[in-house]
Amino acid sequence: MSLTLGLLSPGSFPRAHAGTVNDPATATHGIPAPRHWAFEPISDPAPPRISPAEVRTPIDAFLLAQLRATPADVAPRADRRTLIRRVTYDLTGLPPTPPEVDAFVSDASPGAFAAVVGRLLASPAYGERWGRKWLDVVRYADTAGENSDHPAPHAWRYRNWVIDAFNRDLPYDEFLRQQIAGDLIAAGAPPQRRADLVIATGYLAIARRFGHDTDKDMHLTHEDVIDTVGKSVLGLTLGCARCHDHKYDPVSMKDYYGLYGIFASTRFSFPGCEPKQQPRDLVPLIPQAEADALIQPWRDSLAQLDAELKANTNAPDRRERQSRRDLLAAQEPRFDVAYAAVEGTPADAKLQRRGDPEQPSDAVPRKNLTLLGGQPLHDPETSGRLELARWLTDPANPLTARVMANRIWQGHFGVGLVTTPNDFGTRGAPPSNPRLLDHLASAFIRSGWSVKALHREILLSAAYQRASSIEARPTPTATQRPAATTTTVPTLRAVKNAADDTNTFPRRRLEAEEIRDTLLTLSGDLDPTPGAAHPFPPEKDWSFTQHSPFKAIYESNRRSVYLMTQRIQRHPFLALFDGPDPNASTPHRDSSTVPTQALYFLNDPFFHARSEGLAKRLLALPEQERIPASHRWCFQRKPTPEELKSAARFLADYRRALDGTAPEQIDLATWSAYARTLLASSELLHLD
Amino acid sequence: MEALVKLPPLARRGFIRSLAAGSILGPALIGDLLAETEAPSSDPFAPKPPHFPAKAKRVIFLFLSGGVSHVDTFDPKPRLFADHGKEVKADHPEIKDRPGYERIFLKRPQWTFAPHGRCGTEVSTLFPHTAECVDDLAVIRSMHTSHSNHYNATLGMHTGSFAFARPSIGAWMSYGLGTENRNLPSFMVLAPAMPYAGTQVWASDFLPAEHQGTWVVPGAEPIRNIRRRAASARCQELELAALRERDSTFLANRPGDPLLAARLRSFETAFGMQTEVPDTFDLTRESDATLALYGLKRGQTTGFGWQCLAARRLVERGVRFVELIDTGSSGNWDSHGDMMDHARLAKNVDQPIAGLLKDLKSRGLLDDTLVVWTTEFGRTPFNNTAEAKGREHHNWAFTSWLAGAGVRPGIVYGATDEYGMRAVEQPVHVNDFHATILHLMGFDHERLTYRHSGRDFRLTDVAGKVVGGLLA
Repeated sequence: MSLTLGLLSPGSFPRAHAGTVNDPATATHGIPAPRHWAFEPISDPAPPRISPAEVRTPIDAFLLAQLRATPADVAPRADRRTLIRRVTYDLTGLPPTPPEVDAFVSDASPGAFAAVVGRLLASPAYGERWGRKWLDVVRYADTAGENSDHPAPHAWRYRNWVIDAFNRDLPYDEFLRQQIAGDLIAAGAPPQRRADLVIATGYLAIARRFGHDTDKDMHLTHEDVIDTVGKSVLGLTLGCARCHDHKYDPVSMKDYYGLYGIFASTRFSFPGCEPKQQPRDLVPLIPQAEADALIQPWRDSLAQLDAELKANTNAPDRRERQSRRDLLAAQEPRFDVAYAAVEGTPADAKLQRRGDPEQPSDAVPRKNLTLLGGQPLHDPETSGRLELARWLTDPANPLTARVMANRIWQGHFGVGLVTTPNDFGTRGAPPSNPRLLDHLASAFIRSGWSVKALHREILLSAAYQRASSIEARPTPTATQRPAATTTTVPTLRAVKNAADDTNTFPRRRLEAEEIRDTLLTLSGDLDPTPGAAHPFPPEKDWSFTQHSPFKAIYESNRRSVYLMTQRIQRHPFLALFDGPDPNASTPHRDSSTVPTQALYFLNDPFFHARSEGLAKRLLALPEQERIPASHRWCFQRKPTPEELKSAARFLADYRRALDGTAPEQIDLATWSAYARTLLASSELLHLD
Repeated sequence: MEALVKLPPLARRGFIRSLAAGSILGPALIGDLLAETEAPSSDPFAPKPPHFPAKAKRVIFLFLSGGVSHVDTFDPKPRLFADHGKEVKADHPEIKDRPGYERIFLKRPQWTFAPHGRCGTEVSTLFPHTAECVDDLAVIRSMHTSHSNHYNATLGMHTGSFAFARPSIGAWMSYGLGTENRNLPSFMVLAPAMPYAGTQVWASDFLPAEHQGTWVVPGAEPIRNIRRRAASARCQELELAALRERDSTFLANRPGDPLLAARLRSFETAFGMQTEVPDTFDLTRESDATLALYGLKRGQTTGFGWQCLAARRLVERGVRFVELIDTGSSGNWDSHGDMMDHARLAKNVDQPIAGLLKDLKSRGLLDDTLVVWTTEFGRTPFNNTAEAKGREHHNWAFTSWLAGAGVRPGIVYGATDEYGMRAVEQPVHVNDFHATILHLMGFDHERLTYRHSGRDFRLTDVAGKVVGGLLA
């Protein structure tokens, strides 16, 4: 291992990226590719000096400096209506309300946009949107994924913990440490923090389970954990080293089994499986000793009664005891539990030849990845998770901050500075703007790993506030195409991977959850309260098999992040609109366009119900206010004169087409149809 | 063939009329708008040539769920009849550490075999109709797979992976070849119930989401949301025209956005699908003779015969990959309790399958359609008593067959040992089976790849050899 963290001076970055080191021909098993950009220390480059006109923040300076050699057209600042729509969806996944739009549009103060950003970051809806992005990366699901897909009824606590962690801006390094070793941190923390810290380790417990008897396939679950930790925290495909040294990145089998031992020394909550239906090893939210103190006397009394029943032959006595036993059995002491991870039996794991547990080799000491320093465990009497959590979040670790800074950038612009957000290895894409990425990563660490601070820095840049097309007009007119108002001043391009030379804000379709939440909002049906547990059948009734696996869809008017998601059966709505894969880390959502989506907007009962809800809200208004209100609610703008005319014509034509319908139903049917033409429209479903 | 894959004139006229009904943008302008915006390269469904020319243009994949016994159907084992009751030893995954399975005994098949056709391939009395088609089949008696659980073996047969979620073979095909008919999905799965491993069986996983399979459930609404919910066709036309006007204006202000243009067109397609899908699944214009070929009663809208005839109609319309699943994760071929269950199950699928083969052949479709018949694994030639009525899971050996475009007809490939325990001659692993199917479709399985997580993934993972002996 010749690549050490201290070897390269910080100033050497970013000379070596892409090019030769990415050539697979030069890569050899387990031997580090020299000077791969992502393995070098994070630098803290000074923002280039650029004329101030286009520079709101250092981000703009970094973007502009890279563009100087290739002058390009650039879009003007987006209009205010576009901006507030963009940023409100971006931070909360919901449309802005008409008063919010009006307030921003009429606020002439220089800090108006910053104030909006502050308000949105403080809203609980923020965590529901950005927490979901993390849940994508860690392949969150409410079921285990083994052959009978057992429910994990307590996993929701972890889901809500993630949402809450984003809302309170838990520093990202601490966020990671708690997920990997929360139970161990709790040991040294005040007792009132225990529940929260234990729940955080749901990150580990929600790992996929495999096979028929999942205890027998735990090596696959450990692989799933290592793969997910590698991708989510480090942007490394560690799973490749299970069967052989990594072909392209400096990760050896010894590195892999060094980590494997740490997770094999950990006890994961057991979800149940076909031969062992009942869950076990759920972790009490009260200290384990207190839980034991509650449950042990109950168990003892039960055993006592059982013994008496066995010994006693007197019928009335038996009856009396039996009824006492039944009563007691129903009074099992209850306390809240988490689907979580705690310490198991600490031991080094044996290397598995070709990744096959049937071919064990020598034990490999648990240790840090060589790439990150390779330190051995200080305390082999523990699993090693606490030390691992510290290694992963060491500010000298060149990957963790870069990977998260890139995820946040991607979350705002749709495309990361590194376009392979889960792979920062030599096979991944090089950063399109390495200095900017390092600036963001170092600023992130400097801010105390504050995710919200990073949002602010990005959102307040000129780059984020650009229009999505150079020709865009604040309010589109119906037919005429606006004259080109292009400026040819060489300035910034907003984002972009190297292949894309535009200089505009990338338009995007709403994501699955945003679509559903928008429909519920506009129909007036959204229940904004946080989701809690799902209505799973009681554990004692479970008898799921691979022939008859657990299958359910639970309807809810809560935000979509709270929908119950299964591993072997995708939720039909989320599957249709490119929701996350609950089986593997999803670093980036697809945005497919398929006719079955159009069929949804034509014929789906849920969609029709939302249209009817919107129609009822409109019908509650005086007639002349309905069409303007509908545009304000859906599009955050007034209708154009052409749109007013078209709407009137549509309503009249539709009424005629409904000839024969009962008169009392015609209003609702007509306005529901009109509502569908709004709710299915590209304008509603896309952000400029 | 070519004429069939176009949007039916009726549907197209209807749609254009709906545009004209209230649109301020004439159809000509909309056409210009689409033409200028849509680059063919951005279209995930654009038909693409494979790596090399191939006869097969599409696949019908028949999947019999639960584990079809090879020794009772397509793999005759005279010694198994003769040595019934004999104790054997095997380091078999289904008996390892299993109480009551310390000793195992051979169990004879309950059906007899006879040679059929000019080729003389032996088939049991369970499949009398399929037996009439053996001259078109390449029967592979040496299949084997890597797992003896339904879930894992079913996942493996569909994705090449026995544990992790990966794209399905149908998704790979759609990704590799695009589609010939935009009014229908490129990859369709006709199944009355959810199979083992659930929707992973037809998932696109890391491939672009457009290539995921569309689940068709035989019955009243075969595709979700295919039935018009608006009060009348006229009402829907008005809605579509208004939506079209709104979206065209939105696009006109954002020229050059291929996604917006594709979305605009997806409504035209969906509108067409509302007609085309019911039309495709409407068997009323099939002749009595055709219905009889599949063993269908007039008016029947479910059952495997319906699935088979619907499959013919789908491939006629240019659907790239049609999978038919016989039942789902329960009530299937998993005959632990009593092998006589196979009789009922075979009766249900035999005539439809033979009908499909004959029908495809008589219409010339077998020349460019590949038919695959398989299950996830076989069943044990033994049980823990010789009198046990059922058979257990058996991943060491099973039978699959291929027919149609590019397949060497009328052959038997490979062999199991004297009892049907292990594939001993020319064994064909699931990965080899996949490599061969891809080859028949014109793909080098090592080159049909997709970059994901820093690795070039393929259907056959790191294994798979094309089985040359199966090729015509």
